[in-house]
Amino acid sequence: MKTAEKLPTINYQLSTNRRFVWRIVDFAVAGIFIYAGALKAIDPVQFASDIDNYKMLPWPVSVALAFYLPWLEILCALGLVFRFLYRGALSILSASIVVFTLATIGAKVRGLDITCGCFGHASQNWSFPAHLTTNLAILAGLLLLSFKATFGNRLQNSI
Amino acid sequence: MKSSLVGQAVILAALALLPAAGEAIYFRDKISWRSAIAPSEMVTVEQARGWGDTAIWVDARPDDEFANDHVPGAISLNEDRWNELLPQFLALWAPGKKTVVYCSSLSCNSSREVARRLRKEAQLSDVFVLEGGWEAWLKKKR
Amino acid sequence: MIMCLGARAELKWEQTSVELHPAANDKQAIGHFKYQNTGKTPVHFKSVHASCGCTTAQSQKEEVPPGDKGEITATFNIGDRTGTQVKTVTVETDEATNQKTVLTLKAEIPQQLEITPNFVFWKQGDKPDTKTINVKVGKDFTVKHLKVTSSTPDFEAKVEEAGKGEFKIDVKPQDTSKVVASMLTIQPEDSQKVFYATARITNAPQVQ
Repeated sequence: MKTAEKLPTINYQLSTNRRFVWRIVDFAVAGIFIYAGALKAIDPVQFASDIDNYKMLPWPVSVALAFYLPWLEILCALGLVFRFLYRGALSILSASIVVFTLATIGAKVRGLDITCGCFGHASQNWSFPAHLTTNLAILAGLLLLSFKATFGNRLQNSI
Repeated sequence: MKSSLVGQAVILAALALLPAAGEAIYFRDKISWRSAIAPSEMVTVEQARGWGDTAIWVDARPDDEFANDHVPGAISLNEDRWNELLPQFLALWAPGKKTVVYCSSLSCNSSREVARRLRKEAQLSDVFVLEGGWEAWLKKKR
Repeated sequence: MIMCLGARAELKWEQTSVELHPAANDKQAIGHFKYQNTGKTPVHFKSVHASCGCTTAQSQKEEVPPGDKGEITATFNIGDRTGTQVKTVTVETDEATNQKTVLTLKAEIPQQLEITPNFVFWKQGDKPDTKTINVKVGKDFTVKHLKVTSSTPDFEAKVEEAGKGEFKIDVKPQDTSKVVASMLTIQPEDSQKVFYATARITNAPQVQ
């Protein structure tokens, strides 16, 4: 009888601990995107120049993206923090990190000497492995959160 | 009511337009949508002429075009012979001078590149690109 | 409904964008843009012109018979350019559709040393303080030592290593009473290539 009474308490504690851990991941990933977005939002002129350096887009498009992308990142990161439009925020951030990673790999393959778009000019001295590792780590965090958002409740209910 | 993933993403994408538009308005003087040269770094022929002796005119066109004709008193500085020509330009420059770089027309990239290198490599301030380039000078000459 | 297809000339490009990686001492970067006339009538080139004087473009032939292949060769004269360079060649033909094609040549020019600033100056009468020139070694290069010499004894230049692949050159004038200039020659050890920076005492700005 004692064991049966203890079970709901243990489950509740585990559930709270799990939620706490997931929130840490939310905040960690959000923090990175808020930081990265803020760096680029502060100097959109430099960011436009960085995008232009990939030589893939016309200049007006580079300017438009330079103004728009940082705010999209910041807004989505805030979505993770405040659990507002959460899944949409996760999908946009995941897509953006995939695009940045592919662009970085593409630039490396082409031998272009450019800064990674994620952190704008602040990451200009990073090596290619450092860029790639950071991007993949962020993507891993996002995929974990996406998995949790999609399947997490079902898993919890089945325990 | 829970909105779909796509719906959420669309809402976020639309909301981000607001601060982006605000920032674009705030930075409108610092960045040009037409070319990679900021509006504050472009000058018209009239403005540059108004600077009189404080202006140093720099011709970024190839040697043969410079030899054919150029702004009176202009010095040639192009990327073909940058290392050789730069010291000659620097010998003329002095603090307080305004450098006006021109090339064949607005669509030509050379003046922008030469101006960029003067700002970045020599760390000179007051370096401008002539709006309309050599063609604009010729029009005003008549 | 009967659809009547007219005979057309059509030039198909293998690629319209070429990326080149010239070596540090190369004077030119050459891009080859191959095409084939996949249409039924000959294609004539009306014009082939490059975006700047530093690039020349030539077509092997003026007329391309149906089925024939050819190429446009774009030669970019590097000169003293550095970093990522993008040059375009606009090709105009007498095709019914798609008369204008823009071919893009991207060249990544390696730079052994990045010298910033390459110009240091003092105004006449200023304190003869030391000014620093930062030298960064390019990613694909290794430079262990730098030799710096001044063309005149009016300036003293000292080099010190400032971290991996970075050097600092401290430049100091003897005095700033006279208007003088010096060419600083910067040469990596074991390299024939020479780089330059300028040191100058300038006239004080005239008050207008």
